[in-house]
Parts: sequence; C-alpha cells; structure tokens
Amino acid sequence: MKRTHIVILVLVAVAVCVIVSMFGDFSTYETFSSAAKEPGKQYHVIGFLEKDKTMEYDPVKDPNHFSFYVKDKAGEVSKVIFNGAKPTDIEKSEQIVMTGYIDNGTFKCSKIQMKCPSKYKKDQVALGNAG
Amino acid sequence: MNTQYVGEHLGPGQLGHFFVILFFVAALFSTFSYFRATQSTQQDNLSNPWIRLARTGFVIHAMAIIGIFGTLYYIIANHLFEYNYAWEHSSRALPMKYLLSCFWEGQQGSFMLWAFWHSILGLIVMFTSKQLESRVMTIISMVQVILATMLLGFYFGDHIKIGSTPFLLLRDAMQNAPVFQQANYMSFIKDGNGLNPLLQNYWMVIHPPVLFLGFASTLIPFSYTIAALWKGEYQTWIRDTRIWSLFSGAALGTGIMMGGAWAYESLTFGGYWAWDPVENASLVPWIIGVAALHTLIIFKATKRALPTTLLLYILTYFFVWYSTFLTRTGVLGNTSVHAFTGEGKSLYWHLIVVMGIVLLLSFGLLIARWKKLPRMQVEEATNSREFWMFIGSVVLLLSALQISISTSIPVWSPLAKWISGKEIAPPVDPIHHYNSIQVWVAIIIGLLSAAVLYLKFKTSDTSLFWKRIAVLSSIALVVSIAIGVLEKINVIQYAILLFVSVFAIFANLYYAFSIQKKIKKMGAAISHLGLALTLLGVLLSSFKKEVISFNTLGVTMDFGKKTAAENVKESRENVLLFRNTPVIMGDYLVSYEGDSTSPSDPRTFFKVQYERRDSATGQLKESFTLYPDAFVNPKGQEGLIANPSSRHYLHKDIFTFVTQVLDPTKKTDTTAYKSYTLKKGDSVFLANGFVVFTDFEDAVYAQENGNISVKAKLNVFDLKGKAGEMKPMYSIENNREQFFKEDTLKSMGLYARFVRILPDQNAVEIQIKQTNPKDDYIVLKALLFPFINVVWLGIIVMVAGFILSMLNRITQKEKQPKGIS
Repeated sequence: MKRTHIVILVLVAVAVCVIVSMFGDFSTYETFSSAAKEPGKQYHVIGFLEKDKTMEYDPVKDPNHFSFYVKDKAGEVSKVIFNGAKPTDIEKSEQIVMTGYIDNGTFKCSKIQMKCPSKYKKDQVALGNAG
Repeated sequence: MNTQYVGEHLGPGQLGHFFVILFFVAALFSTFSYFRATQSTQQDNLSNPWIRLARTGFVIHAMAIIGIFGTLYYIIANHLFEYNYAWEHSSRALPMKYLLSCFWEGQQGSFMLWAFWHSILGLIVMFTSKQLESRVMTIISMVQVILATMLLGFYFGDHIKIGSTPFLLLRDAMQNAPVFQQANYMSFIKDGNGLNPLLQNYWMVIHPPVLFLGFASTLIPFSYTIAALWKGEYQTWIRDTRIWSLFSGAALGTGIMMGGAWAYESLTFGGYWAWDPVENASLVPWIIGVAALHTLIIFKATKRALPTTLLLYILTYFFVWYSTFLTRTGVLGNTSVHAFTGEGKSLYWHLIVVMGIVLLLSFGLLIARWKKLPRMQVEEATNSREFWMFIGSVVLLLSALQISISTSIPVWSPLAKWISGKEIAPPVDPIHHYNSIQVWVAIIIGLLSAAVLYLKFKTSDTSLFWKRIAVLSSIALVVSIAIGVLEKINVIQYAILLFVSVFAIFANLYYAFSIQKKIKKMGAAISHLGLALTLLGVLLSSFKKEVISFNTLGVTMDFGKKTAAENVKESRENVLLFRNTPVIMGDYLVSYEGDSTSPSDPRTFFKVQYERRDSATGQLKESFTLYPDAFVNPKGQEGLIANPSSRHYLHKDIFTFVTQVLDPTKKTDTTAYKSYTLKKGDSVFLANGFVVFTDFEDAVYAQENGNISVKAKLNVFDLKGKAGEMKPMYSIENNREQFFKEDTLKSMGLYARFVRILPDQNAVEIQIKQTNPKDDYIVLKALLFPFINVVWLGIIVMVAGFILSMLNRITQKEKQPKGIS
C-alpha cells in the first residue's frame, strides 16, 4: 500500500470517529414528559403557544424573563420560562421550537424558534435567541 | 368564469413570458448544437457550422436573460402590482436603491441571477476555451436549460408543475381570493406587500450578486472537468480550470465574507458567523473547491492526484446544488434563522432531479474512465510538497463533509429515526459543536498552508526546511505567548491555534518577501497569509468577545444547573435603560437619550450615549453616541426588527442593538405640570438636576399698543453641569388675550411654560413638567468585539492572493504558449 493511502485511511478513520462522537452533541426532539425524565438535560421541544393563558414579560422588572404556556405535540401543557427578551410576534406563531430543560416542572429555555404563518410567505422562520 | 379585468398591464408580462421561453429554447438549441459540434471531427471552430449555430444560440439565450431582467425590473420599478412578484416583494414606499433587493428576495429572482452569471461567464468561456469549447459549452448550456426550467411555470395536468415564473399575475397566484371576482380589482390593490425589513440594507443590494457569481463560477471548472473526462484528455484542461478555479475561490470567498459583513452589521445574532445552515451551505462548496484547486496544482506539477482532482471538482459543483436544495426548499425548516420561501413540493422534486442528473452524469463518466486515468506508479516522497498538499486537501474535504453532515440533520433524521427510534435534533449549541471540531481542522490547515511552501515538489532539502521552520516557529512561539498572556487565551486548542496562525503569518511573509521576491509569484503566499490572518482574527474576536450589557437589575432566576450554567450566563445579556438614567456597562457609562424618526425612513433611531471616564480622576476620556435602529411595528407585525450600530476602533468594535422597546402606542404621560413662582436667580430642583430662572429676554415682536411678548430664560443644569436652556414665551395682545408658548429640553424630558408675570412680587409664574424617565425605556444588548478588523483584513488579503495568482496564470500564457493538444 502506498503511503498516501495509509495516511488517507488514518484520516478517514479519524473523521469517522469524530463523526460518530458528534452524535453525542446532537440533541433530540422530545415532549415535556419525556424531557422531564432527565431534568436539567437540554432538549428540543416542539409545541404550540397556548394563546388563552397568560404571557408575562415586564422588562422593567427583568428584561431577561419571559414566561408563557406551550402545548407540546403530545398535548401536554407546560409553563415555559425564556431567559431573554420576548420574541417579536410570538402571538402569531404557528409552531415553536424551544431549546431548554425541565426544572421543577417548568421548561426553562434559552432559545426559541418560531414559524409564523405570514399571509403571504408560506414558511417564515423567526428566531428569538436568549440574550 | 371569464372576466374582462380593468386596469391591468398585461404587456410586460407577456414580453417576460416570451423571454423565458426564448431563454429555454435558445439554451436547448445551443446545447444540441454544441453537442453536435463535439461529434464532428473538424477541429477548426469557425468553419464548423454547428459551432456557429451554437454560439448564436448562446448569445440569444444570454440576451433573453437580460430581457427577463429588464422586464421584471420594469414591473417592479413601475409598481405594477398586478404581478405577483412586484406585489409580494416591493411596495411604493420602498426606496429606489432597494429595488434590486426585491429581485433577490424571491426564489425566481435568485435563479435568474444565477442564470445571468452563468451566461456572462459562459460568453467568456466561449471565446477563451479554444479546442475545448464545444465540450465545455455543451455542459454550460445544458445547465442553463436546467435553470430555465426553474422559471418556466408550466403545468402538466393539475399536480405536476415545472418551475415557477416570475411573471405570474397576482390573480393567478391567489385564485380563490374574492377580490379577483371583480373586474376592477386593480383599484383595490394600492400597494405591495413590501420588502422584508431585514433585507433593506445596502449589503443586501451587493451581497447576493457577488455570492451568486461565486456559485455560478463553480460551474466552469466543473464543465472543464466533464469535458476532460469526456474525451479522456487530461492536459489541455489544466490551465483554464486553474484560472477559473482561482476566480471561483475569490468570488465565492468574497460572497461569503459579504454575507458575514451583512450579518455583523445588520443582523442581531451578534457576530459575523453563526454556523447557520445558509452560511454553511456557501462555505462547503468553497472549501471543497479550494481542495480541488490544490490537487489540480499537484497534478500539474507531478502528474499525481488526477482522480482526486476530478472527484473534488465534481463534488464542489454537486454541493452547490445541494446547498440550493437545503436552503431553498424549506427542508431545513426549524433549524435556521433565515426565512425560507418554500416553493413547496414542485421545487423540492425539481432540485432532486437536478442533483440526480449532476451525479449520474459526472459519476457515470468518472466511473467509466476510472480504470484508464493516468496514475503514477512510483510513490511520492514524504519530504515533497505534493505529499503534504494532498493531505491538506483530504483534510479540507473531510472538514467540509463534517459541516455538511451536521447541517443536514433534518435531511437524514428520518433515516436515523427509522434505525434508532430517536428524533435527532441539531446540537443545542451549534457554534460550540462546529468550533470544537473545526478548530483542529484550522490548526492542521494553518500549519500546512505555511510549512508546505517551504517544501519543493518531488523532493526537498530536508535540513534547510527544518532550519527555516525552527527559526520561524521560535519567533512565532515568543510572539504567540505574548499575545496569549495579554489576551488570556487559556484553552489548549485555542492556544495551539494562536501559535499556528502567528507562525503561518510569519512563515508566509518570510516566504513571500525573502524567497519569492517577485510580486507576480506571491499569490499562494499572500492567500495563505490571508488565511492565517483570518484564523487569528476569528480566534481573537470570538474568544475574547465580551458582553458588556450584563443585567444587574431585576430578579435572578434559579438556574442552578451545572450543564446550563453557561447558557444562563450567555442569556442574561439584556439591559433595561430608562431614559436619561445612565447604567454602567463594562468601562462605559451608557444612557438612552430618546428616539427619533424621520418621514423619509421607516425606522426609529434610538440615541444611546456612551461615556468613558478615568476611574481615578473622573475626567471624561471619550464620549460617543450610537444610533441603533429598528423597524418598530413594521407592517402587519407587532414588535420590532432591530439593526445594530457599532462604534469602530482599529482594535475593537462596540456593538449595540435594541432588543425591546416600549410600544409607542402605549407610551403614557404620567406627570403633570407644577407651578412655581420665581424671582430672578431662583431655582427649581428636579430629580436629576435643577432649573435657574436667570433673566427675561425680549421677544422678536415689538411692544406696541398693549402688546407684550417676553421670554423667560431658564438655564438647566444636570449633575454634570449645564445641560441646556429653555425660553418659554408669554405674550399679551391688545391688553386682553394671553398666550404662552412652551419650550422643551428633550434630553432632560423637561417642559416649561411661562404663564404669568407678577409685577407686585417682581416675579414670574413658571410651570415645569418633567416626564417620568420610567415612561420611556429600551432594552438593549451590547457586545465588545476585539480585533474584528483582523478578520476582514485576512479575508481581503486572501481574496487578493487568489486574484493575484489568477492574473499571473492568465498572463503566463502569452509567454509560453503550449503546443500540446
């Protein structure tokens, strides 16, 4: 075998190891109840804003505290606390993807992504990043 | 129902449709003729009738594309909202300079831009590619046919739609809307939907054309590659491919940088690079293209690495289409900050078919020729340039594949779910995910990019090599330790990267100026120097990025978790600023001093004052004002879309943007006027200062016939000194009617009225109101980016290196024309 072939094999082996180890980095989509099995571990949860329940954001009190309620895909409703400013247009969101973890029964998230049904744009993605 | 509609301008649309069909037919004709020309044995281009026909076809197709552009521009510029494209992407209020951005916002406009660049580059290839013309141009024309199908908008039956035309009428786009039942519907459609505020930025006028030029330019090396495989000729192909490959590296590199600059200047994710799928999509082809360029150089010098080179060029082009697929079909859905206009199923399948054609054609040819590709039987020496260059190219390819695999999670997650039952989501912290892997790639590539230049092709003087490397790395070690200590870089892989990039800077400078000397030949060293500078800039700016707007107000949430602790720190970065109430941020005292709007601009500007004082003496060292702005309650939305504003220094930037404002419709005035009786020299105390009534001032009007008009001069002081003055006016006309004109001092939120003169007390009555600063506030975030300019400088130097190499290769030909065919 040629030297270059050996080197390529080694590099590819390293790359395969890196890619396999990458899977540890990847998160999974969960529901509130499945995320609650491991409190403190970060997951992605997809859900829908509960528009009838209260949304709280008072920047005068704390500009990094926004709380609202979300119904996940399994139908469970949970309180969500986002530690950032209230994202624009969340009232109109069709679907919300949140990154965070369960703590004492509430879902604390640091990242929100929303899909908004714009009348004219079919898939408009807006994002609220903590901070 | 056949309604005769009133007030429509159907002419431009019909002309546009004609151009689209002409584009398609002419490209098809050109492809066919070029293909016939390849079959002919005649070598002389001009006497070959097929070539002449094909060229005519190609020129006509290029003119048709310009025609499409012109027609669509006419429609947008004249606000013909009966056309869906104009209605969806523009509005009457849109400033002229953003009309071009309307093109790029839509799907069809981007395909059009892409086809436009193909046609321009194709025309250049047509006149420069000599005996390769027929084969190269067959491929280019064929791709143009494919792009033309994207714009056709033909229906086959009810469900199969091929492409979508930019000349679609609004009433056809929304057939079910009741307004179109009326013949005079045009009189109801007064204005368009408007351009996404995020795109109303000068970067969005110039960034997409450059980026698409970069994407389009990858077609040329690909076409040459296919042309080479076609006839199995691997010598004639090198020169032009190398030049186009260098061009492509420069164009796509510039496009990516402009994207970063746009993100930095007008988006609020706080940086120039976020490993967002859209950014990755343009980076991946660039990386593979650079790898291909390097293996091509190996092939030119040593006749090795041909199969890899061919493969890399094919992959470069394939990834351009794959990127289009990722970013245009909405398949990434939830994972990107970018808004996607989903064209739905038809585009999805269309792009899959295109990718299939590209793969089938190129890999089919490659496999057919694989056995017969010329290869060297002897092994290369480990002290040769080609050996390490080759390794570098493989590392680049693997790096691109890693980025692509992670970006494509939504594409392959259904498969993973089928295997493991888990629904894979993107990493919780994507930036950390990519950085932790790609930092090692950066270290290897940085090291190779500098050291490899000191090696020669085939074999090198090893002792000279090590001597030079030893000297250079000891200098680099000293310098990088100094920087590392100064900047407190305390993570091992970043410390290594710091050393590598400093080493690469020195090594490339030394190589360029002491060994190569001739500026013409410095291309490689300069672009490698640019890479090293970029790496250093990225390292310093992101490692030492500092949020200075830490929130110290309000309640603290219990985020006691260890794993999320970093996130909490990251996310408590918004600070509330009441008007005129300074807050300490880092070294600065920051205060919000009010907002302003202008009738010609839909944005609201927020005046934010930064002051830095000497901590010991309290002396003012510097003071500046930033005006971060935002679209407050833009059309059809609540809330705001913010643009940052930065204070630029040579070595750092202070980056500020508004994350929340008080809804202007909900602003209230909670205070009332209070009356004060004042003699000259009396003062009134305020919450944050005082007002002194100093004197009267005669008004401009003369005193006659019992008409008195007089002003009171009020000096206003805040804690720092005089803040301004107010001159409210009081007047009496005809001894009877009283008037007063109030004066304001906005920076203090002060209002004053002069309501009466009290001659018996030798005093005046003044009413003063100070708005409660809590009635007006903004929430903002401020970041400190050190050494961001090093990033920009690095990329510019790198692109300059590409261009220099390209010019060198173009001019070289005149000196030594090649006789081989």
